Amino acid sequence: MKIAKLAINDSVQELVSDLEEPVTKNGSVAGPDPAKKNGVDNGKPIGKLNSKVNILLVDDRKDKLLALGAVLAPLGQNVVEAHSGKEALRLLLKNEFAVILMDVSMPTMDGFETAAMIRKRPSSEHTPIIFVTSIGNSPAQMYQGYSLGAVDYILTPIVPDVLRAKVSVFVDLWRKTEHIKQQAERLREVEEAEHRRRLAEAEDKLEAETKRNRFFTLALDMLGIGDFDGHLLQVNAAWEKVLGYSEEELRGVTPDKLVHPGDLPMILDRVQILKQGLPVEYFELRCLHKDGSYRWIGWTAAPFPAEKLIYIFGRNVTARREAEEKILQLNGELENRIAALTEVNRELETFNYSISHDLRAPLRSMSGFAQALMDGEENKLGAQGSDYVRRIANSAKRMDSLLQDLLEYSRVARASMPPTKVNLDGVVNEIVTLREREIQETRASIDVKSPLGIVTAHLPTVQQILANLIDNGLKFVGKDRSPQLRIWTEEVAANGSSGEKPENAPAPVPGHQRSLRIWVEDNGIGIEKEFHEKIFGLFERLHPSHAFPGTGLGLAIVRKGVERMGGRVGLESQAERGTRFWVELPADTGENGFKARRESTTPAN
Amino acid sequence: MENRILHVEDNPDDVVLMNLAFSRAGIAARLHVVNDGDEAIAELEKGARGGGPPVCVLLDVKLPRVSGLEVLAWIRNQPNLKRLPVILLTSSSQTTDINRAYDLGANSFLVKPPDLDALTQLVKTVAHYWVQTNVRPVASM
Repeated sequence: MKIAKLAINDSVQELVSDLEEPVTKNGSVAGPDPAKKNGVDNGKPIGKLNSKVNILLVDDRKDKLLALGAVLAPLGQNVVEAHSGKEALRLLLKNEFAVILMDVSMPTMDGFETAAMIRKRPSSEHTPIIFVTSIGNSPAQMYQGYSLGAVDYILTPIVPDVLRAKVSVFVDLWRKTEHIKQQAERLREVEEAEHRRRLAEAEDKLEAETKRNRFFTLALDMLGIGDFDGHLLQVNAAWEKVLGYSEEELRGVTPDKLVHPGDLPMILDRVQILKQGLPVEYFELRCLHKDGSYRWIGWTAAPFPAEKLIYIFGRNVTARREAEEKILQLNGELENRIAALTEVNRELETFNYSISHDLRAPLRSMSGFAQALMDGEENKLGAQGSDYVRRIANSAKRMDSLLQDLLEYSRVARASMPPTKVNLDGVVNEIVTLREREIQETRASIDVKSPLGIVTAHLPTVQQILANLIDNGLKFVGKDRSPQLRIWTEEVAANGSSGEKPENAPAPVPGHQRSLRIWVEDNGIGIEKEFHEKIFGLFERLHPSHAFPGTGLGLAIVRKGVERMGGRVGLESQAERGTRFWVELPADTGENGFKARRESTTPAN
Repeated sequence: MENRILHVEDNPDDVVLMNLAFSRAGIAARLHVVNDGDEAIAELEKGARGGGPPVCVLLDVKLPRVSGLEVLAWIRNQPNLKRLPVILLTSSSQTTDINRAYDLGANSFLVKPPDLDALTQLVKTVAHYWVQTNVRPVASM
C-alpha cells in the first residue's frame, strides 16, 4: 500500500501542530486507498506480502493516522490503520505486525487497556508497542505503559526522522525474526524430510528383510545359520526336504549328529577355519538322512565374526555323486575287462604263434618224409604202400592248409587294419603272377578290366580276399573246361545307383560317399541260391574235398575281412552257370581314383 | 671250389629235409649245419680266421637261446660279413617277423613249404640266385 506523497511535509506539520487537539472530524476515511482499507476491514489477512512488513497505527483521530502514515511511508512498509483499540485487536487476530504505534488516549478503550489485551494474547504477546503520547503525560503513566509491555514512548509533536528510525528498528527486528522463523521453518522442513527419508529407508529395509526371509523360506537349496561351535540355529524348509528332519529337530544340532563319521574330521576342520573368520572352499560330504541313509551335500559357508555366526548353504548333490560313483565303478569294470581282454588277446597271439611254428613243423616232417619215401622207392613200398604214403603226405598238407587258414581267419578277425590307399590293379597283378604256373597248367584265362581303381582299405587283407576269390574261381570249375575269370570294378554312388545295375544289386555301403564294387566272375560250377548265405560260414563246404580240395575257410576269411574294413560282400550265381562274387570297399576319392578310372576303361589281359 | 652253405636249424627233421631238397635239386653245395644261434656265431667267427665265410646262410628264425634275428643282427654288425647273403627260414607266414628281418638286413625271407616238392623248388630258386649267380662276397668289403 502506498500513501500519497502529496504535501506530505505540510500534512505532517499540520499533524504535529494539531496533535494535541481532540479529533472532531469524522474519520471514516483514513487512507487514500479505500479499497485496501475495505480489504483490511473485511478481516482478510494482510499477509506477509512478500518483503513488506506490517505496521499497525492505532488512533481514534484520522488526521493523526494520516500524519503518522505519511511519516512512515518512506519506509516502504505496509501501514495498517486502526481507529480504535477494538479494531486494533481485531486486526491483530488475523495479522502479524512488526510494530504497533498506539495512541494512549482513545475513547472507550485507551491505549493501555488495548496494550494489556494485546499482551494477553499469545500470538501478540511479544509484538512491540510504541505509545504515542503528549509531553503532558506524567511519568507514572509512562511507567504504567512500560509495565504493560510498551517498548517505547514517542512524544508528540513527533519528529519524523526519530519516529522513522525507531519504527525501522522494529521493522528490521521483525524481519530478522521472520528470517529466523523462516530458517527455523526450513530447518524443520529439512528435518522432516530427513525423518521421512529415514522412515522410508527403514520401511525399505523391513521390506528387503521380509523378501530375504522369503528367499530363505522358499529356496530349494539348504540355507542355514549356525554358531561358532557348530550348532545349527536356523534352517530353511529345504533341509527337511533333503534330510527329512523338521526345523525344530535340527535346531541346536551339531555336525557329529548329522555328518557321516568318515567325513566328520573334514567338517570339524572347516568349522575351526570359519571360527577364525576365514573363508572355506566348497566341499562335499555325506549327511545322515532321518531314514538312516546318507545324502551327498555340497556346502558353501561364510563366517561373520562380528555376529559369531556361520552362514551355510547346502545343495543336494547325491544324484551327481552316485552317477559319478557309478561311472567310476563302470570305468573300473571296463578297465578290468580291457585288461582281461588284452590278456586273452596276448595269450591268443602266443597261441597262434606257437600253432604257426610248432604245430606246422611236425606236419612238414610228415609230409616231407612221406614224399622222400615216394621218391623212386615205389618198388620197395608196393602199390598199396605207396598209396598209404601218399595219403599220409596229403593229410599232412591238408592239415597244414587248415592251420594256415585258421591263423589267417583269426588274424583277419582280430588284427588292427589301418587303411591306406590300395591300388587294386597292383594287388590283382601280383596274385595272377604268383599263380602263373597253375594258370598255364589249367589253361586258365584271367581277364582284368584295368584300371580297377583305388580303394581305402588294409592292403594285406585286400590281398588275402582277392586271392581267395580268384583261387575259388580257378578251383571250382568242371573238369571238362578251362577256368575263365573276368575281374572288373564299378563305382557305387551313395544312392545305390551303379553303372551296370546287376540283378539283386544290393544297396551301397552305408556311411560312405562312394564305394568301389569289385567283381570276380568265373565260369565254374556255380552255387545254388539256397547256399549263397551259407558258403560264408566257417568250415562250410558244398563239395567233398576229393572233388574240390579246400578248408572251408576261404570265404569266411573274405567276409570277415571285408566287414572289418567297412565293406560288404555278396554273389550272383546259378548252378552250372558260373559265379560272380562282388566285394564293396570304400573308394578312395582322391586323385587317380574314379576320375582316372572313368577316363579309360581299356580291358587288359 | 666247394660251395659251403651254413644251415642254422634246431629241428633235426628240417635238417634232413633240407639235405634231401638240395640233393633232389642237384645243387653242388655242402650244407654245414649248426643247431643254434651261438653255434652259428662261433662258426662264422671261426670262418673269419680261416677258410673264409660261407657262400650264404640259411637261418631259421626260431632258435633256442639266441634267435635267428639276433644272429642276423650280429652278422650285419661284422664289417667282413656285411654283404654275406642271409636267407631267413620260418614256419610261420605271419608278417611281424618278416618286417623285422628285412629291417635287420635279411636278403630273403622264406616260409618253409609243407611239402618236399615245394621245398625242392624253393632250394633251386635260392641256390640259383644266391649260390650260382651271386658274386661271392669279398672278405675285405
